Amino acid sequence: MALEQFAASRSLTMGIELELQLVNVHDYDLVGSAEDLLREVERKNQDMDIKPEMTLSMIEMATGICENYTDALQQLTAIRDVLVTSADRLNIGICGGGTHSFQHWGDRKIFDKPRFQYLSDLYGYLAKQFTIFGQHVHIGCPGADVALYLLHGLSRYIPHFIALSASSPYVQGDDTGFQSARLNSVFAFPLSGRMPFVETWSEFEVYFEKMMTTGVVKSMKDFYWDIRPKPEFGTIEVRVMDTPLTVQRAAQIAAFIQSVARYLMIERPFRPVDDDYLVYTFNRFQACRFGYAGTYVDPNSHEHRTVAEDLLKTFERIEQHAIELRADEACRALRDDVLAGHNDASILREERQATGSLPEVVQRQCDRWRS
Amino acid sequence: MNDLILPAWPSHLSETMRFGVALVVAGLAGEGLARFVRLPRVTGYSLAGLLLGPAVFAWFGVHDMISFRVVIDLALALVLFELGTRVDLQWFRTNPWIIPASLAEAGLTFIGTFAVLYFLGNTPGFAATVGAIAIGTSPAVVMQIATGLRSEGQVTQRLFVFTALNVLYSVVLSKLIVGGMHGAFRNDWTAAVLHPIYLLVGSLLAGVMIAAAFSLLRRCFELADEQAVAILFGLLLLSLSLLEIFALPTMLAPLLAGVMVKNSDRRPILWPRHFGTAGGVLVILLFVLTGAMVTGNDVALGGLAALAVIAARMLGKGLGLAAFGPAGGLNHRQTLALALALMPMSALAFVLVDDIHALYPEFSAQVGVVVLSMVAILQLIGPIGVQWALRFSNESNEKER
Repeated sequence: MALEQFAASRSLTMGIELELQLVNVHDYDLVGSAEDLLREVERKNQDMDIKPEMTLSMIEMATGICENYTDALQQLTAIRDVLVTSADRLNIGICGGGTHSFQHWGDRKIFDKPRFQYLSDLYGYLAKQFTIFGQHVHIGCPGADVALYLLHGLSRYIPHFIALSASSPYVQGDDTGFQSARLNSVFAFPLSGRMPFVETWSEFEVYFEKMMTTGVVKSMKDFYWDIRPKPEFGTIEVRVMDTPLTVQRAAQIAAFIQSVARYLMIERPFRPVDDDYLVYTFNRFQACRFGYAGTYVDPNSHEHRTVAEDLLKTFERIEQHAIELRADEACRALRDDVLAGHNDASILREERQATGSLPEVVQRQCDRWRS
Repeated sequence: MNDLILPAWPSHLSETMRFGVALVVAGLAGEGLARFVRLPRVTGYSLAGLLLGPAVFAWFGVHDMISFRVVIDLALALVLFELGTRVDLQWFRTNPWIIPASLAEAGLTFIGTFAVLYFLGNTPGFAATVGAIAIGTSPAVVMQIATGLRSEGQVTQRLFVFTALNVLYSVVLSKLIVGGMHGAFRNDWTAAVLHPIYLLVGSLLAGVMIAAAFSLLRRCFELADEQAVAILFGLLLLSLSLLEIFALPTMLAPLLAGVMVKNSDRRPILWPRHFGTAGGVLVILLFVLTGAMVTGNDVALGGLAALAVIAARMLGKGLGLAAFGPAGGLNHRQTLALALALMPMSALAFVLVDDIHALYPEFSAQVGVVVLSMVAILQLIGPIGVQWALRFSNESNEKER
């Protein structure tokens, strides 16, 4: 399969995908009920975009094309409500969060679909370890070269997105010390990380062609990059976020990304260079590990500050664009959280403190997902 | 020689020795079946019971068994309580098809078994009593196998809920029939009405008490460790003796208590299966002793009728679920698996017969012949069905060795 043409899409529209956890309501471990839930949803709403994922305890929901924050929140809420009612009928729980806090990866079962079985054969235990739950946000781009500009521009804000969405402090029953431990599972994949520094679509076609001839990749799907172009949609897809605990938060984060994208597209405040990526993995690690408190190295000035400081600056810079997009309310809510040092990871840790039990934390995640 | 030092010979077999041998044989049989032919351990335990009982080697005599009733009651109380904690009452509201499916499956089972026995020339009272007992699915087999496979999913969940409901129907119905017998045999219709009411209300109150005591226990101890198990067992024994004093059935109160615990405190349930190793041994004994209840006489006289009743029972459960399962969210594969998993019969059926024995010994002996023959068969092949069903529906989570 050759690289597809980049289908132009309406600039700055959004699409949001959320991967969700399915748990039992007895001890709140993951439960392999994806097929049952899909059947249940299908019976009621044929047109909702709800798909299976790698293992049987995961499900993915996606919005259609969203104009703005309000639209996104409405679409997410509608799908969420259908999922919650269907899950209730099956007596299972459904929740957000980047990892399930105490599941054992060895218990997972691969969804019976050729692609997932193929990936499971290829990646072995990594496939089952991939029972992690992320938020992906698509941003519409009017053309392929703009898309690549936006992609490299947004790469500077990866730590910001991670810190805002982080919701995976617990893995396999232990506190990892990370705010987003989920991304550590992604890095294990050979084609993860960042896209190579190419600025035009024709350059990218050459790169893709070369990779094809090596036999390492067959399609765009084989790249697990943090941000990747999605030519058939005419979008770029930001993939570093953990699934937040609520749809409100998911919509706010999408609106923030949309506002940053508008700022980059319209103001073109800098020209991306390959050297931007010198600090990329360091910054990303800092955000995963420490969240807002992580160190952010400015790719331009090499100045060190905290992710929180840079976030607050960013909120100021994009304010006008947020207002234009009617995303200002969402950005304000996020800004308040940054000032309070609050995100979903800290909520989960507080609940662990309060209840002393991870299954109870998961139970509360389910309650939160409903609200 | 000095008879202060040397024991009298030949010695008679002590209870301790009987239990010791029973556990060793059962353990070996269970392990052997599991390892070499991948059959459920429960089948091995039941087989050991059958072989040791009066039906074959008579290591246990018929008369020994009465004294073991307390072990059976305690083990049964344990699994019923455990089963009760799997029943989420909210689900009956969010999925309105659960109750109809359960009623259909139990109702058709009763009608089917009643019809078969009636046409075989039995009295309606007899047919109804066996029919009521045949509704029940063995909570012990279901809990032992499903939790042993760490099974989770739609079939497993319904298996727990339907088993619990079937216990409820089975006990209530057979108590109503006993009530009816007061009227028929003694022409005492006041007792016929009041006795079942007394039993049900009494069980409910006893359930509330157990649940309250357990909640207190849960607040004070970490039940995930085995520390509080002694207290829990003591509590259950105490409740059982109280139930006996008030002549109440031993099955309903623990089940209702489990349901109340789950639904009054919705926190995740984290204690180990059967509350740990001690409970596990008790449950093994339950299978051995139930197996040992069956006599050769039972099988000779009731075997054929039992086979006919089993077929009718299977058909009833299958049709009931086929009619209502899919509406509740199951596919056909899962419906089939669930119908099969509801097959096992075990200690519960024996206890129901034994309870009638106290009031109407002759009648209970007739009922026992058929019911114990069913138990003999369904305690052996029922567990195999449950295991197969949970694997077939891809809900088991066995650790590979």
